Amino acid sequence: MKAYLTVFRMRLRMETQYRGAVLGGIVCQIFFGLVLIAVYRALYAGKPQSLPFSHVATYVWLQQAFFRMLLASDAELMDKVRTGGIAYDLCRPLYLYGFYYARIMAQKLMGSLLRAFPMLVFAALLPEGWGISLPASLPALMLALAALLLGLGCVCAMENMSMGFTMRTLDPKGFQAMLNLLMMILSGNVLPLTLYPDSWQRVITLLPYAQMLDAPIRLYTGEYGIPQAPGVLLLQAAWTVLLVLAGMMLWKRNQRRLIIQGG
Amino acid sequence: MNTVRLYLRSMGILMKSQLQYPLSFLLQTLAQLIMEGGEMLAVVLLVDRFDHLHQWTAGDLYFFFGLMSVTFYITECFGRGITGNFPSMVRSGQLDTLLIRPRGILTQVLCSAVDPRRITCIAVGTLSLILGSRLSRVAWTPANILLLAESIICGFWLILGLFLIEAILCIHSVKSVEIANALTYGGRSACQYPVDAYPPFLRTLFTVIAPFAMVMHVPASQILGKPIFGWPAWAAWISPLAGPLLFAVMVFLFSRAIRFYRSTGS
Repeated sequence: MKAYLTVFRMRLRMETQYRGAVLGGIVCQIFFGLVLIAVYRALYAGKPQSLPFSHVATYVWLQQAFFRMLLASDAELMDKVRTGGIAYDLCRPLYLYGFYYARIMAQKLMGSLLRAFPMLVFAALLPEGWGISLPASLPALMLALAALLLGLGCVCAMENMSMGFTMRTLDPKGFQAMLNLLMMILSGNVLPLTLYPDSWQRVITLLPYAQMLDAPIRLYTGEYGIPQAPGVLLLQAAWTVLLVLAGMMLWKRNQRRLIIQGG
Repeated sequence: MNTVRLYLRSMGILMKSQLQYPLSFLLQTLAQLIMEGGEMLAVVLLVDRFDHLHQWTAGDLYFFFGLMSVTFYITECFGRGITGNFPSMVRSGQLDTLLIRPRGILTQVLCSAVDPRRITCIAVGTLSLILGSRLSRVAWTPANILLLAESIICGFWLILGLFLIEAILCIHSVKSVEIANALTYGGRSACQYPVDAYPPFLRTLFTVIAPFAMVMHVPASQILGKPIFGWPAWAAWISPLAGPLLFAVMVFLFSRAIRFYRSTGS
């Protein structure tokens, strides 16, 4: 366990090195957030909905702030498989799946925290109706944070799955790209899941994609009340465990048929 | 004329090379379809929930979305050298090889890449344009067809010009400059909706600085019979020229910037 924690810590530090890129990313993400909120505001002005607008604005900001969590982060593994560098990883006295799980989690966690803090401060300073509003209550905030951690576990398991598939096809641009795009659509980044037709939401919120950011955000805004929270967290945990197990199986089978390239 | 032939030849060779890996190409094209399909789904779902955006009906919104999507992805397809590869050419020092050849740099950069995967994005955009014009009962008079063509062609130069900003910054800083994405990709996301949906700051940005509204929304609203800003019909014919104008300014700035180019290669 200690070894995985060390991998995790090292990656955390590495992620803090690229501050210039972080700043550029933040400016872009803020800009996208402002544009989206402007569109939704104009739409709301024409036909107000039962969902209060402050919830929509909050949803958009939290999605933008933690955008990095959804983005595929570890491109190195594919290069390693293609060049044969994977052999070094296989020599390590570590479980390959766990090694990469720790790496990806650190990257996603630090990458999104570095971006989220300044963005959320900015969003909090914006006037009413544009910015992020406070959580529904203190317990709601605590639950949302717990859900965010579970969501992180889920998204890392998901990415390890898609990397597992890519290890087979060796083409990161095809299959992995498709999974990533599905993630953007079904996790509420392109359009908040709360604005999908109500009948769709009943199904979409059960999918693993909704566990990543949608569930924590809904707990934050109070869309999911405190009594519903245990069910929500349980569903997240269930998906995480399921995806981790499936991923481990996939990686194990991959490892057996893996051909080390190069020479 | 020679340059055009050179460009077409390069395109032919590049297309062939891309099709050498048919499965990979197919999957990537499919991925593009999901991406643009998802964007369109968002518009459809928003229309389903809200019916309209100010004075714009569902059909109008599909029309605006389709126009942006067709124009943007035609640019990404044929202008790939500028929209995608330029920063890595600077970083790797690959640009040096272009400097010693007897052709303009921009010509060579444009000839260096094509992205046929975007075809599915263009298809989604076309579908949206057709759907929108049907729903909004657009009369396809010769004038309207011409106006649409003008808008798309001028939009191509506009978007290429905006991507040149990133190229210029990149020559100075070597890194790819993510902030420039706010104008290009941000402009695409924002201006798939008519610009009068936005507060004054964003409206000015996309009318004056990155004139998507001039190039797309003014002619499109004219075609839809609801001129935006209340501008007269002749204005719709002139305002798209802001696109080529911006491109010309950027080419000028680019040629000045290239004088400061220092190779990173060894």
